Amino acid sequence: MADLIIQLLNGLNYILILILVAMGLVIIFGLMKVINMAHGEFFLLGAYTVVLTDRLGLGFWVGLILAPIVVGLLGAVLELTLIRHLYKRFLDTILATWGVSIIIKQTIIIIFGPAGLMTQPPLPQLISFGSLEYPAYRLFIMAVSLSVIAVTFYVFYKTDLGLASRAVIANAPMASACGINTRRMYRITFTFGSALAGLAGATMAPLMSCDPQMGLGFFIPAFLAILVGGAGTLSGILAGGSVVGGSESFISAVYSPVTAQIVVFSIAIIIIRARPQGLLGGKGRG
Amino acid sequence: MLIVNDLHASYGGSLALQGVDFSLKPGAIKALMGRNGMGKTTLMRAIMGLVKIKSGTIRFQGKEIQSLRSHDIALRGIGYVPQGREIFGDFTVLENLRLPLMRRPRNQRNAPKEIFEYFPILAERMNQRAGTLSGGQQQMLAIARALAPNPSLLLLDEPSEGLQPSIVQEIVDILLAINRDTGLTILIVEQNISMVMDLAQTCEFMERGRIVGACPIEDIRADESIIAKHMSV
Repeated sequence: MADLIIQLLNGLNYILILILVAMGLVIIFGLMKVINMAHGEFFLLGAYTVVLTDRLGLGFWVGLILAPIVVGLLGAVLELTLIRHLYKRFLDTILATWGVSIIIKQTIIIIFGPAGLMTQPPLPQLISFGSLEYPAYRLFIMAVSLSVIAVTFYVFYKTDLGLASRAVIANAPMASACGINTRRMYRITFTFGSALAGLAGATMAPLMSCDPQMGLGFFIPAFLAILVGGAGTLSGILAGGSVVGGSESFISAVYSPVTAQIVVFSIAIIIIRARPQGLLGGKGRG
Repeated sequence: MLIVNDLHASYGGSLALQGVDFSLKPGAIKALMGRNGMGKTTLMRAIMGLVKIKSGTIRFQGKEIQSLRSHDIALRGIGYVPQGREIFGDFTVLENLRLPLMRRPRNQRNAPKEIFEYFPILAERMNQRAGTLSGGQQQMLAIARALAPNPSLLLLDEPSEGLQPSIVQEIVDILLAINRDTGLTILIVEQNISMVMDLAQTCEFMERGRIVGACPIEDIRADESIIAKHMSV
């Protein structure tokens, strides 16, 4: 029983991180119609920011705060220097961001080497609930990602900034004829989406061995979660993230990670075949 | 107020505007007529910065605006009601009216009272999703959205499209009242001859990307065959 609850909590942990990564991807895609192939490497950079502060003796918490700032700034620079010249050239943005992902990965290998790196656990204690013991740090991750997800939803659906960005998603030319600076919206979105990936990477760093390939391990399931949930809707990600993340972590625990991959991809294929618009995707949903 | 000089622009590969010249005086209501595909909508979109301009100038209130981006053009005081209305169907009426006011301080982003005086139906439907409004109400919302930031020039593209005559008349009356009260300048592209005759003071005709003629609206009232000459296929 206790084992099952722990597995469920671990699954929830993974789902929330996946949603964080997918949310950045989907906001960027929704507004700008750009599929950011470097999103996994933004996650990677977030994790390595923590590795770096850990090595410099600054500790995890400094890294956690720095990661979204560093990665967000990098996103802003990329948008200004590269992405902004490629809007409306869908394939070119895929190629360009893929190139960026390779550059980031190789730079990390040059600086840190190809091997996996561990960092100090920031909250090593266990919290007990009756007979059940669960790592405090994992609870912390859940709290952080839940709050960030909630804030993102709030900004998107309840603020003027969110209203403007939903207008750009629905009809960019008309939004600009209403006086909305679409380019500025793109820059804000790309920065924010990148920062989300950086934050997700930083929170995961203490839980796993950080290696230069780790971004892909989150990019692919996040991408899958978007396709399953329905691209272009924020709430779709909640459904997609839960299906993909939930089944993957559950099957990994019961059988093996390899079986999990096979099953998750099969489920995704079936869902996408049956509902190409995704679980919650429909016409005209913001 | 608005002076368009030798404007060339292409749209979808073909050169849609081939040297358009025309001007608008403050407070005037001018109609632009012509058959489909003659460049009327492209001209509207070009003024609004939504179409790439090849050459020529557009001066608005003494300043060249042809190289500005759409949101800057909107902020200088041009309101745009596109063909097909293009309201944001998922947003409420209030949200649609709030959108063009984002540049203002946070406490001044609600639609001005006068908007609801001209369009009382929108006040009743404030919190309704715009997509659920009737065609006439959506058209009123599109006009109200363009007017919310208090522009000095209003561009109307086929506002009567798909509406029944009584509603077209209602919109004409509202526009005339706003023009009288505020001195709003209006440029309207319209195929509906009776709407043009009720609303506009002058009319220009477009053919193959150029202005080919102009006349005061009285001449059309006296002899409708002027229109037939330019509109017949």
